Amino acid sequence: MKQDMTEQEIIAAVNEVFQEDFEIERERLLPEMNIFEDLELDSLDIVDLVVAMQKKFKVRVRDDERIKSIRTLGDVYQFVLMLKNEGVTPAAQHWKE
Amino acid sequence: MNRVVISGVGAVSALGSDVPSLVTGIEQGRSAVRYMEGWNQYVGLRSLVGAPAELKNEKAIPRKSRRSMGRMSIFAVQAAEQALADAGLEREEIGSGRAGCIIGSTMGGAESLNETFETMLPEKDLSRLTAMKFFQCVPHTAAMNVAQYLGITGCVMATSAACASSLQAIGTGYDIIRLGKQDVVLCGGSEELHPTVTASFDLLLATSCGYNDDPQRTPRPFDSKRDGLVCGEGCGILLLEEYGRALSRKARVYAEVVGYNTAASGDHVSESNRESIVLCLREAMASAGVSPRDIGYINAHGTATVHGDKVEAQAIREVFGDTVPVSSLKGYVGHTLGASGALELIVSLAMMEKGVIYPTLNLESVGEDCQGIHHVMKPLARDIRVMIKNCFAFGGINAALVCKRVEP
Repeated sequence: MKQDMTEQEIIAAVNEVFQEDFEIERERLLPEMNIFEDLELDSLDIVDLVVAMQKKFKVRVRDDERIKSIRTLGDVYQFVLMLKNEGVTPAAQHWKE
Repeated sequence: MNRVVISGVGAVSALGSDVPSLVTGIEQGRSAVRYMEGWNQYVGLRSLVGAPAELKNEKAIPRKSRRSMGRMSIFAVQAAEQALADAGLEREEIGSGRAGCIIGSTMGGAESLNETFETMLPEKDLSRLTAMKFFQCVPHTAAMNVAQYLGITGCVMATSAACASSLQAIGTGYDIIRLGKQDVVLCGGSEELHPTVTASFDLLLATSCGYNDDPQRTPRPFDSKRDGLVCGEGCGILLLEEYGRALSRKARVYAEVVGYNTAASGDHVSESNRESIVLCLREAMASAGVSPRDIGYINAHGTATVHGDKVEAQAIREVFGDTVPVSSLKGYVGHTLGASGALELIVSLAMMEKGVIYPTLNLESVGEDCQGIHHVMKPLARDIRVMIKNCFAFGGINAALVCKRVEP
């Protein structure tokens, strides 16, 4: 993960995933939105969300237990910020395209 | 046994996204075959022609439904919706458990299968795979997606027998309605064009390779200059309905399905076998209670392979002689493999309705080994009361379906 990403850049990148992969309109992408109830993602979408986030941020988080407590879009932003602050080992080599 | 009729049709093909565009294109003698840009990057692929269908309006399917669909499932959903609308049935009427869906294909979505392995294999890493790839790759992807999308709660099944897939689907739908297990079944087949699909035939020397610079002149079923098949894509769906039900709601009836047979050669995985085809045609007619002289039209499998066309012509000659008109539609839309039985049956029903037989496109000089049958080489006005549709698949699997016009 790029360590120089700002919070705004992270939010924009997460929003891009929701727009591109889940076809959700930009104006609905508010931090308080519940990703299940408001944005209507289901368990299968969560698998794909993780795959998309791994690709976007070049991280490996599929087995990260904290994913299970994500409820809102704001939680997603916070999760990625946490990863950045923890300095997650870049998986860039793994994600070379 | 119940009687079974066809009361709705839907199609997506290389000639357009509905039945009228398919029938009109064939009526006008148009070929949808073209040179496939980019296919020459595949080392060893000799056949660079195909008949692609246009994917359009897919966003009309909500994302939650669409996410599990590859091209072939989108084609299938669109064709199934057309068939339902054509039959005048509402979605609510097919959610009772008395309605089913049987859609065949050679395999799951070729594009998704390729993407899956391209994603996974370089690093042997599963964590990059999305949840949806499974649903796009499974052999029953079209049947499953149509059933989910339309809320079908009856029998859902995918017949997978390569080029006989959709005729087996229709035959199976016919059987379960006859037995009283379902009242209505959406039957057909769907397929998608992909270089790896053409490659599988190319490796077996079954594709057309000599017309890459002149694609509209191939495939050439039964012609002396035929050199193999050309893959196409699309979906054909027919709504089969119990006769009394169709009658009571005053449905438009295209034809009655009166006979069906599927049987294998038990002989060779790829080469057609004359004796088993003869037997299949005779059994299909026997089950319909008709004889060869009752048949007004034979819609041939006729893929334009050197061996397959010869054997089919021999079998037709043995059973029907040279009196019954025969044509193949592969010259117009290519070989749509698992969808071919359904798509070509739909066009044959249009011929029955219009009283005209569409000729075999690109058949200019009948191959010496394909003579002795009544090849239709230009439009032929003909009152078709009973017809037979042939499909012969790799694996030595034969299928034939007999349809009869329902007289008012």
